[in-house]
Amino acid sequence: MTPFDMPIRTYLVPAGSNAADVLAELVALLSAGPKARRKGPPPLAPVARPVQMTTWNVLDTADLRLRDAGLDLGLETASASAQLVLRENGARGVSAVRVPRSQRRFRLQDLPAGRVKDRLAPLIEVRALLPIVELRRRDQPVEVHNPDAKTVVRLTLTDLWATPGTDPVRLPGRVEVAAVLGYPKPFARVDGLLHDRLGLQPATTRVVDDAAALLGDQLPAATVSHPPPFELAADDPAGDAAVRILGRLADAVEANLPGALDDLDPEFLHDLRVAVRRSRSVLREMKRVFDPAARRVQAEALRWIQAVTGPTRDLDVQLLEWDELVAHLPDERQEDVEVAHRVLAARRGEAFRRMKATLRGSEYQERWAGWRRFLEDQAAVGGDGQGVGSGPDAHRPVRRVAGGRIRSVYRRMVRDGRAIDDQSPAEALHDLRKRGKELRYLLELFGSVLPERPVRRMVASLKALQDVLGRHQDREIQADNLRALAPELAALPGGADALLALGALVDRLRVEQREAREQFAERFAAFEGLKVPS
Amino acid sequence: MKVLATYNIKGGVGKTSAAVNLSALAARDGLRTLLWDLDPQGGASFLLRIQAKVKGGGRKLVRGRADVPLLLRGTDIDGLDLLPADFSYRHLDLALDGTKRPTRRLGQVLAPLEDYYDLVMVDCQPAISLVSENVFDAADALLVPLIPSTLSLRTFDQLSGYVKEEVERPPEIIAFFSMVDGRKKLHREVVEQLPASRPDVVPVGIPAATEVELMGVHREAVVESAPRSRAARAYRQLWQEIRNRVGV
Repeated sequence: MTPFDMPIRTYLVPAGSNAADVLAELVALLSAGPKARRKGPPPLAPVARPVQMTTWNVLDTADLRLRDAGLDLGLETASASAQLVLRENGARGVSAVRVPRSQRRFRLQDLPAGRVKDRLAPLIEVRALLPIVELRRRDQPVEVHNPDAKTVVRLTLTDLWATPGTDPVRLPGRVEVAAVLGYPKPFARVDGLLHDRLGLQPATTRVVDDAAALLGDQLPAATVSHPPPFELAADDPAGDAAVRILGRLADAVEANLPGALDDLDPEFLHDLRVAVRRSRSVLREMKRVFDPAARRVQAEALRWIQAVTGPTRDLDVQLLEWDELVAHLPDERQEDVEVAHRVLAARRGEAFRRMKATLRGSEYQERWAGWRRFLEDQAAVGGDGQGVGSGPDAHRPVRRVAGGRIRSVYRRMVRDGRAIDDQSPAEALHDLRKRGKELRYLLELFGSVLPERPVRRMVASLKALQDVLGRHQDREIQADNLRALAPELAALPGGADALLALGALVDRLRVEQREAREQFAERFAAFEGLKVPS
Repeated sequence: MKVLATYNIKGGVGKTSAAVNLSALAARDGLRTLLWDLDPQGGASFLLRIQAKVKGGGRKLVRGRADVPLLLRGTDIDGLDLLPADFSYRHLDLALDGTKRPTRRLGQVLAPLEDYYDLVMVDCQPAISLVSENVFDAADALLVPLIPSTLSLRTFDQLSGYVKEEVERPPEIIAFFSMVDGRKKLHREVVEQLPASRPDVVPVGIPAATEVELMGVHREAVVESAPRSRAARAYRQLWQEIRNRVGV
């Protein structure tokens, strides 16, 4: 805390009142203050400034990263202009940047250079800023003056309405009181009056949370592809637990699909694919809780979705990693590979168009409807409310089934990992990584029914191992992808220079892959000695 | 953090008015701005309704024994803070004289504020002294108000020569016309002709206007109290020129 971190407190306007009522009461209290007394603090006079009406679109990423970081980003539109206004919880002042009036969605590259962009960049990364809820706000600024008519405290009294459709919904109003640097005593006095005399309660929720509570599902759904650990009971029937988890993952796919089809940012497609991959993993690892024939059909449906979305995601990853990759080249060679970037971008555009057409087509609709029907059918089997699914393990406690799978996958990984030596092909490490993903999903999705400590240790050790295996494979794929550009590049103007530069990059990737391989033995040694949670 | 200083060897040429108005415009543009009222007369502090008093006085400040952030005051303009004047600044030369590296002390006062401000505007006292040498050392640019008269221009030549020849790391000099009386032929001619031959003079003239004089009555920047006035327009034009030249 520095002297620059000036206190800012936010109170809620009591139900049944509005900002003007609070202001009137505050004026009455301050004018009845110690003016008449000879001793005591100097009199303070509140001066209301002109009211401002603004339309305020709360912007955030689909997974609400700004809200979680304590930031409010509003797109404020007045009659002739628009600006992005960033407020930091409890911090002094706001940062603002002008933006085109017609724009409603922003990627990092759309924002003008400056403080707003600098603050948002590490938080939002590749995610788009999207309108979460539209609010109308009526701000009444009030300056509290000392006897020199100097502002010593600032207040903003705000009435708020959410406007999800045609009828505005009133939200709790807010009173923000901000200290002015160098004047702590008047702040303490006004703050005390608001809290102690007027009985205002500190606002513990954010405006966007208030809107979410009132509007419920009228707000765009936040993505749920990285769900918190599922709260399962150890004795829940395994079939019931698996179906509940698959239902949540299906929700995540549906929540991310519109953003992926509108190409809002690459994370929608990524989160969609993660949810599908997790679902496939549950089907595979918990296969004995399902009807075998139906499970095979649905496993194929999910594999198909993954295949349809794969090329676009692969190219997204290449484009996202491009700047970091070419940064390894000397400055004078970086321009040479620009032509390769254009080729990648064109391929990505083409792959996206194909994927979009497929995901909007009847085959996807049918397969997805089939998946949803399968989940409903599995949940209904049994009909006694006790258990679901129709495989042999459906009614066994989830702790036993999932614990058994975790043990089995872990042991298989240990066996396969021990067989890997310096001469083993890259595929051996790749296969081990795939098993590692299965284990990770099992631990994430079913870990809550197992003893916490061994689960936590296994997750940490697995993560360290997967980092090395992931790096090893990523470099392999990146090198293959760069090589795959060669035929097209060779025929383009400037292609020869690009090929030479790409050759240097491929060499670099090979070095990094070797380094990852050298680290494997050490990470695996830590992993193979773990206690298995059961 | 850029440091600008309004400076002239002569007094009464519009330094303080320029410092207050330019700082206000910087803050309104979203720059975190600090105005340091280094003139013992405390004109800028008065105009911003803040008591011209610094706990411990100038001596403690320049000797590095003051907690600078605790001396700052927020002004009525959000984003603009003031390091107030103090009457003891009249002896600042003496206080500096007994220190190590006496021409670097004012820059060291500002050093802990580096992360908190985008711009510091120093409103200097007139005359060439140890204080002004400190300012020349700390500032990225000197903003020099010029009355369009022969004597004033001669003084400006003296200042430019001194800064170029005597200062180790000379700041950029940006001169502008101040207290311009459009009824006077000499003023009109100088304002029209000089910028063409002197690249360090920007073609902007702050008029000798009643609104500027009324700042002392309203205790507010012209750009705030009379934003549509001729003087306010001239300050905005000047601010744009300065922004472009110093890159803030």
